[in-house]
Amino acid sequence: MGDIGRGLIAVGAGLAVMTGMMTGAGQGYAAGKAVEAVARNPEAENKIRSMLILGCAIAETCAIYGMLIAFLLMFVFQ
Amino acid sequence: MTLLSVSPLKIQVEVISIVVITTIILVLLFLVNRAIVKSDPLEKPKGLLLLGMIYYQMMDKLTTENMGAKAALKYSPYIASIALYMAISNLASLVGFNQPTSNFSVTLTLALITFFLIQSTKIRTNGIVGYFKGFFEPFAPFVIMNVFGTFAPLLSMSLRLFGNITSGGTLMQLFYTFTAYISSLIPIVGGFNFLGVILAPALHVYFDIFSGLIQTYIFIMLTTIFIGNELPQE
Repeated sequence: MGDIGRGLIAVGAGLAVMTGMMTGAGQGYAAGKAVEAVARNPEAENKIRSMLILGCAIAETCAIYGMLIAFLLMFVFQ
Repeated sequence: MTLLSVSPLKIQVEVISIVVITTIILVLLFLVNRAIVKSDPLEKPKGLLLLGMIYYQMMDKLTTENMGAKAALKYSPYIASIALYMAISNLASLVGFNQPTSNFSVTLTLALITFFLIQSTKIRTNGIVGYFKGFFEPFAPFVIMNVFGTFAPLLSMSLRLFGNITSGGTLMQLFYTFTAYISSLIPIVGGFNFLGVILAPALHVYFDIFSGLIQTYIFIMLTTIFIGNELPQE
Protein backbone atom coordinates (compact mmCIF):
# COMPACT_ATOMS: atom_id res chain seq x y z
CA MET A 1 0.00 0.00 0.00
CA GLY A 2 1.04 3.60 -0.32
CA ASP A 3 2.84 5.59 2.31
CA ILE A 4 -0.28 7.35 3.55
CA GLY A 5 -2.00 3.97 3.98
CA ARG A 6 0.82 2.61 6.11
CA GLY A 7 0.95 5.78 8.16
CA LEU A 8 -2.76 5.60 8.85
CA ILE A 9 -2.43 1.98 9.92
CA ALA A 10 0.19 3.02 12.45
CA VAL A 11 -2.02 5.82 13.75
CA GLY A 12 -4.89 3.36 14.12
CA ALA A 13 -2.72 0.94 16.06
CA GLY A 14 -1.69 3.72 18.39
CA LEU A 15 -5.27 4.74 18.99
CA ALA A 16 -6.28 1.15 19.70
CA VAL A 17 -3.85 0.83 22.58
CA MET A 18 -5.42 3.81 24.34
CA THR A 19 -7.96 1.46 25.89
CA GLY A 20 -5.29 0.85 28.50
CA MET A 21 -5.83 4.30 29.99
CA MET A 22 -8.97 3.62 31.94
CA THR A 23 -7.82 0.11 32.80
CA GLY A 24 -4.90 1.57 34.73
CA ALA A 25 -7.18 3.95 36.59
CA GLY A 26 -9.68 1.24 37.43
CA GLN A 27 -7.16 -1.30 38.66
CA GLY A 28 -5.39 1.32 40.76
CA TYR A 29 -8.71 2.22 42.37
CA ALA A 30 -9.37 -1.45 43.09
CA ALA A 31 -5.95 -1.84 44.69
CA GLY A 32 -6.62 1.18 46.88
CA LYS A 33 -9.89 -0.27 48.08
CA ALA A 34 -8.15 -3.57 48.78
CA VAL A 35 -5.55 -1.86 50.94
CA GLU A 36 -8.33 -0.11 52.83
CA ALA A 37 -10.13 -3.40 53.37
CA VAL A 38 -7.00 -5.04 54.75
CA ALA A 39 -6.49 -2.10 57.08
CA ARG A 40 -9.98 -2.60 58.42
CA ASN A 41 -9.66 -6.37 58.85
CA PRO A 42 -6.06 -7.62 58.85
CA GLU A 43 -7.01 -11.26 59.29
CA ALA A 44 -8.73 -11.61 55.92
CA GLU A 45 -5.61 -10.65 54.00
CA ASN A 46 -5.29 -13.83 51.90
CA LYS A 47 -8.88 -13.76 50.73
CA ILE A 48 -8.67 -10.09 49.89
CA ARG A 49 -5.46 -10.63 47.94
CA SER A 50 -6.87 -13.44 45.80
CA MET A 51 -10.05 -11.50 45.12
CA LEU A 52 -7.98 -8.48 44.10
CA ILE A 53 -5.88 -10.47 41.64
CA LEU A 54 -8.96 -12.14 40.16
CA GLY A 55 -10.81 -8.86 39.71
CA CYS A 56 -7.84 -7.09 38.19
CA ALA A 57 -7.18 -9.87 35.69
CA ILE A 58 -10.81 -9.86 34.54
CA ALA A 59 -10.85 -6.07 34.16
CA GLU A 60 -7.60 -6.29 32.22
CA THR A 61 -9.36 -7.88 29.24
CA CYS A 62 -10.33 -4.41 27.96
CA ALA A 63 -6.69 -3.42 27.63
CA ILE A 64 -5.84 -6.81 26.13
CA TYR A 65 -8.51 -6.43 23.44
CA GLY A 66 -6.97 -3.11 22.46
CA MET A 67 -3.44 -4.52 22.34
CA LEU A 68 -4.67 -7.44 20.24
CA ILE A 69 -6.20 -5.09 17.67
CA ALA A 70 -2.97 -3.10 17.56
CA PHE A 71 -0.92 -6.26 16.99
CA LEU A 72 -3.29 -7.40 14.26
CA LEU A 73 -2.97 -4.07 12.50
CA MET A 74 0.80 -3.92 12.78
CA PHE A 75 1.67 -7.47 11.84
CA VAL A 76 -1.01 -8.63 9.45
CA PHE A 77 -1.66 -5.50 7.44
CA GLN A 78 1.83 -4.02 7.78
CA MET B 1 0.77 -17.87 12.35
CA THR B 2 3.80 -19.78 11.21
CA LEU B 3 3.64 -22.94 9.17
CA LEU B 4 6.04 -25.75 8.67
CA SER B 5 6.17 -27.46 5.31
CA VAL B 6 6.80 -31.13 5.64
CA SER B 7 5.91 -31.80 2.09
CA PRO B 8 3.21 -32.33 0.98
CA LEU B 9 1.58 -31.20 4.27
CA LYS B 10 1.68 -27.79 5.81
CA ILE B 11 1.14 -27.87 9.57
CA GLN B 12 1.06 -25.06 12.08
CA VAL B 13 3.89 -25.16 14.58
CA GLU B 14 1.55 -25.31 17.55
CA VAL B 15 0.50 -28.83 16.52
CA ILE B 16 3.94 -30.10 17.52
CA SER B 17 3.55 -28.46 20.93
CA ILE B 18 0.14 -30.06 21.38
CA VAL B 19 1.53 -33.51 20.61
CA VAL B 20 4.44 -33.07 23.03
CA ILE B 21 2.24 -31.70 25.82
CA THR B 22 -0.28 -34.49 25.45
CA THR B 23 2.51 -37.05 25.66
CA ILE B 24 3.88 -35.38 28.80
CA ILE B 25 0.44 -35.42 30.45
CA LEU B 26 -0.06 -39.09 29.55
CA VAL B 27 3.29 -40.06 31.06
CA LEU B 28 2.56 -38.00 34.18
CA LEU B 29 -0.85 -39.61 34.71
CA PHE B 30 0.62 -43.07 34.17
CA LEU B 31 3.27 -42.45 36.84
CA VAL B 32 0.70 -41.12 39.31
CA ASN B 33 -1.49 -44.15 38.69
CA ARG B 34 1.40 -46.48 39.40
CA ALA B 35 2.16 -44.61 42.61
CA ILE B 36 -1.47 -44.91 43.73
CA VAL B 37 -1.64 -48.64 43.03
CA LYS B 38 1.57 -49.38 44.89
CA SER B 39 0.80 -47.22 47.91
CA ASP B 40 -0.29 -48.25 51.36
CA PRO B 41 -3.37 -46.40 52.68
CA LEU B 42 -2.11 -46.32 56.23
CA GLU B 43 1.16 -44.48 55.77
CA LYS B 44 1.79 -40.87 54.80
CA PRO B 45 1.91 -40.12 51.10
CA LYS B 46 5.00 -38.53 49.65
CA GLY B 47 6.40 -37.47 46.32
CA LEU B 48 4.23 -37.69 43.23
CA LEU B 49 1.31 -39.21 45.14
CA LEU B 50 1.24 -36.21 47.47
CA LEU B 51 1.21 -33.83 44.52
CA GLY B 52 -1.68 -35.72 42.97
CA MET B 53 -3.66 -35.60 46.20
CA ILE B 54 -3.05 -31.88 46.69
CA TYR B 55 -4.15 -31.18 43.11
CA TYR B 56 -7.30 -33.26 43.51
CA GLN B 57 -8.24 -31.54 46.75
CA MET B 58 -7.67 -28.11 45.22
CA MET B 59 -9.94 -28.85 42.25
CA ASP B 60 -12.56 -30.43 44.47
CA LYS B 61 -12.68 -27.39 46.75
CA LEU B 62 -12.98 -25.02 43.80
CA THR B 63 -15.83 -26.87 42.13
CA THR B 64 -17.71 -27.53 45.36
CA GLU B 65 -17.65 -23.85 46.27
CA ASN B 66 -19.28 -22.78 43.04
CA MET B 67 -21.41 -25.70 41.98
CA GLY B 68 -22.57 -27.57 45.05
CA ALA B 69 -21.48 -31.02 46.11
CA LYS B 70 -23.64 -33.13 43.81
CA ALA B 71 -22.75 -31.46 40.52
CA ALA B 72 -19.11 -31.14 41.51
CA LEU B 73 -18.74 -34.93 41.26
CA LYS B 74 -19.79 -34.81 37.64
CA TYR B 75 -17.84 -31.78 36.51
CA SER B 76 -14.62 -31.79 38.51
CA PRO B 77 -12.78 -34.37 36.35
CA TYR B 78 -13.29 -32.17 33.30
CA ILE B 79 -12.24 -29.03 35.17
CA ALA B 80 -9.13 -30.72 36.53
CA SER B 81 -7.99 -31.97 33.13
CA ILE B 82 -8.64 -28.61 31.47
CA ALA B 83 -6.66 -26.87 34.18
CA LEU B 84 -3.71 -29.27 33.84
CA TYR B 85 -3.65 -28.96 30.06
CA MET B 86 -3.90 -25.18 30.10
CA ALA B 87 -1.32 -24.71 32.82
CA ILE B 88 1.28 -26.86 31.06
CA SER B 89 0.61 -25.33 27.67
CA ASN B 90 0.85 -21.76 28.96
CA LEU B 91 4.21 -22.57 30.53
CA ALA B 92 5.52 -24.26 27.39
CA SER B 93 7.13 -21.04 26.22
CA LEU B 94 9.73 -21.38 28.97
CA VAL B 95 11.37 -24.28 27.16
CA GLY B 96 11.04 -22.85 23.68
CA PHE B 97 7.87 -24.36 22.24
CA ASN B 98 5.21 -22.15 20.68
CA GLN B 99 2.30 -22.25 23.07
CA PRO B 100 -0.81 -24.08 21.80
CA THR B 101 -3.07 -21.49 23.38
CA SER B 102 -1.51 -18.79 21.24
CA ASN B 103 -3.56 -20.20 18.36
CA PHE B 104 -7.13 -18.98 18.32
CA SER B 105 -8.49 -22.36 17.27
CA VAL B 106 -7.40 -23.94 20.54
CA THR B 107 -8.90 -21.28 22.80
CA LEU B 108 -12.07 -21.15 20.72
CA THR B 109 -12.46 -24.90 21.11
CA LEU B 110 -12.09 -24.72 24.87
CA ALA B 111 -14.56 -21.86 25.12
CA LEU B 112 -17.02 -23.69 22.82
CA ILE B 113 -16.95 -26.73 25.13
CA THR B 114 -17.81 -24.46 28.04
CA PHE B 115 -20.56 -22.83 25.97
CA PHE B 116 -22.18 -26.16 25.17
CA LEU B 117 -21.90 -27.27 28.79
CA ILE B 118 -23.71 -24.13 29.95
CA GLN B 119 -26.49 -24.50 27.38
CA SER B 120 -27.00 -28.19 28.08
CA THR B 121 -27.20 -27.54 31.83
CA LYS B 122 -29.79 -24.87 31.14
CA ILE B 123 -31.84 -27.24 29.00
CA ARG B 124 -31.56 -30.04 31.51
CA THR B 125 -32.77 -27.82 34.32
CA ASN B 126 -35.60 -26.05 32.53
CA GLY B 127 -36.65 -28.33 29.68
CA ILE B 128 -36.56 -27.28 26.05
CA VAL B 129 -39.72 -25.15 26.21
CA GLY B 130 -38.49 -23.44 29.37
CA TYR B 131 -35.14 -22.80 27.72
CA PHE B 132 -36.68 -20.91 24.83
CA LYS B 133 -39.15 -19.14 27.07
CA GLY B 134 -36.28 -18.03 29.25
CA PHE B 135 -35.07 -15.76 26.50
CA PHE B 136 -38.21 -13.65 26.77
CA GLU B 137 -37.97 -12.93 30.47
CA PRO B 138 -38.88 -10.58 32.09
CA PHE B 139 -40.29 -8.63 29.12
CA ALA B 140 -40.50 -9.61 25.47
CA PRO B 141 -38.05 -6.96 24.17
CA PHE B 142 -35.32 -8.40 26.42
CA VAL B 143 -34.65 -11.13 23.88
CA ILE B 144 -31.83 -9.14 22.27
CA MET B 145 -29.99 -8.68 25.54
CA ASN B 146 -30.51 -12.30 26.51
CA VAL B 147 -29.11 -13.52 23.20
CA PHE B 148 -26.07 -11.28 23.64
CA GLY B 149 -25.68 -12.47 27.19
CA THR B 150 -25.57 -16.04 25.90
CA PHE B 151 -22.82 -15.45 23.38
CA ALA B 152 -20.77 -12.90 25.32
CA PRO B 153 -19.06 -15.41 27.66
CA LEU B 154 -18.01 -17.49 24.64
CA LEU B 155 -16.31 -14.58 22.89
CA SER B 156 -14.82 -12.99 25.95
CA MET B 157 -13.30 -16.19 27.40
CA SER B 158 -11.70 -17.26 24.15
CA LEU B 159 -10.41 -13.78 23.33
CA ARG B 160 -9.10 -13.18 26.83
CA LEU B 161 -6.96 -16.30 26.82
CA PHE B 162 -5.83 -15.82 23.24
CA GLY B 163 -4.99 -12.15 23.71
CA ASN B 164 -3.02 -12.59 26.91
CA ILE B 165 -0.90 -15.47 25.68
CA THR B 166 -0.31 -14.20 22.12
CA SER B 167 0.63 -10.72 23.19
CA GLY B 168 3.02 -12.14 25.77
CA GLY B 169 4.67 -14.25 23.10
CA THR B 170 4.91 -11.37 20.63
CA LEU B 171 6.39 -9.03 23.20
CA MET B 172 9.01 -11.60 24.14
CA GLN B 173 9.88 -12.04 20.46
CA LEU B 174 10.29 -8.28 20.03
CA PHE B 175 12.48 -8.16 23.13
CA TYR B 176 14.71 -10.93 21.85
CA THR B 177 15.11 -9.16 18.50
CA PHE B 178 16.05 -5.94 20.27
CA THR B 179 18.69 -7.59 22.47
CA ALA B 180 20.05 -9.46 19.45
CA TYR B 181 20.60 -6.14 17.72
CA ILE B 182 22.31 -4.62 20.75
CA SER B 183 24.46 -7.72 21.26
CA SER B 184 25.57 -7.71 17.65
CA LEU B 185 27.16 -4.29 18.11
CA ILE B 186 29.77 -5.80 20.45
CA PRO B 187 32.55 -6.93 18.11
CA ILE B 188 33.80 -10.42 18.91
CA VAL B 189 31.22 -12.39 20.89
CA GLY B 190 28.34 -10.51 19.34
CA GLY B 191 26.89 -13.32 17.27
CA PHE B 192 25.35 -14.97 20.31
CA ASN B 193 22.47 -13.11 21.86
CA PHE B 194 23.87 -13.15 25.38
CA LEU B 195 22.19 -9.92 26.46
CA GLY B 196 18.82 -11.49 25.84
CA VAL B 197 19.69 -14.54 27.91
CA ILE B 198 20.62 -12.32 30.88
CA LEU B 199 17.71 -9.89 30.74
CA ALA B 200 14.85 -12.01 29.49
CA PRO B 201 14.08 -14.26 32.50
CA ALA B 202 12.57 -11.37 34.46
CA LEU B 203 10.05 -10.77 31.68
CA HIS B 204 9.41 -14.48 31.34
CA VAL B 205 8.41 -14.63 35.00
CA TYR B 206 5.70 -12.06 34.43
CA PHE B 207 4.45 -12.99 30.98
CA ASP B 208 4.63 -16.75 31.13
CA ILE B 209 4.44 -17.94 34.73
CA PHE B 210 2.31 -15.25 36.39
CA SER B 211 0.05 -14.38 33.49
CA GLY B 212 -0.32 -17.95 32.27
CA LEU B 213 -1.29 -19.41 35.64
CA ILE B 214 -3.68 -16.58 36.42
CA GLN B 215 -5.43 -16.98 33.07
CA THR B 216 -5.85 -20.70 33.77
CA TYR B 217 -7.37 -19.93 37.16
CA ILE B 218 -9.72 -17.34 35.71
CA PHE B 219 -10.88 -19.69 32.94
CA ILE B 220 -11.82 -22.47 35.34
CA MET B 221 -13.37 -20.06 37.84
CA LEU B 222 -15.59 -18.52 35.16
CA THR B 223 -16.55 -21.93 33.81
CA THR B 224 -17.61 -23.21 37.21
CA ILE B 225 -19.46 -19.99 38.06
CA PHE B 226 -21.39 -19.94 34.78
CA ILE B 227 -22.36 -23.59 35.07
CA GLY B 228 -23.23 -23.18 38.73
CA ASN B 229 -25.63 -20.35 37.89
CA GLU B 230 -27.77 -22.65 35.78
CA LEU B 231 -28.10 -25.52 38.23
CA PRO B 232 -31.35 -25.83 40.20
CA GLN B 233 -31.36 -23.96 43.47
CA GLU B 234 -31.53 -26.08 46.59
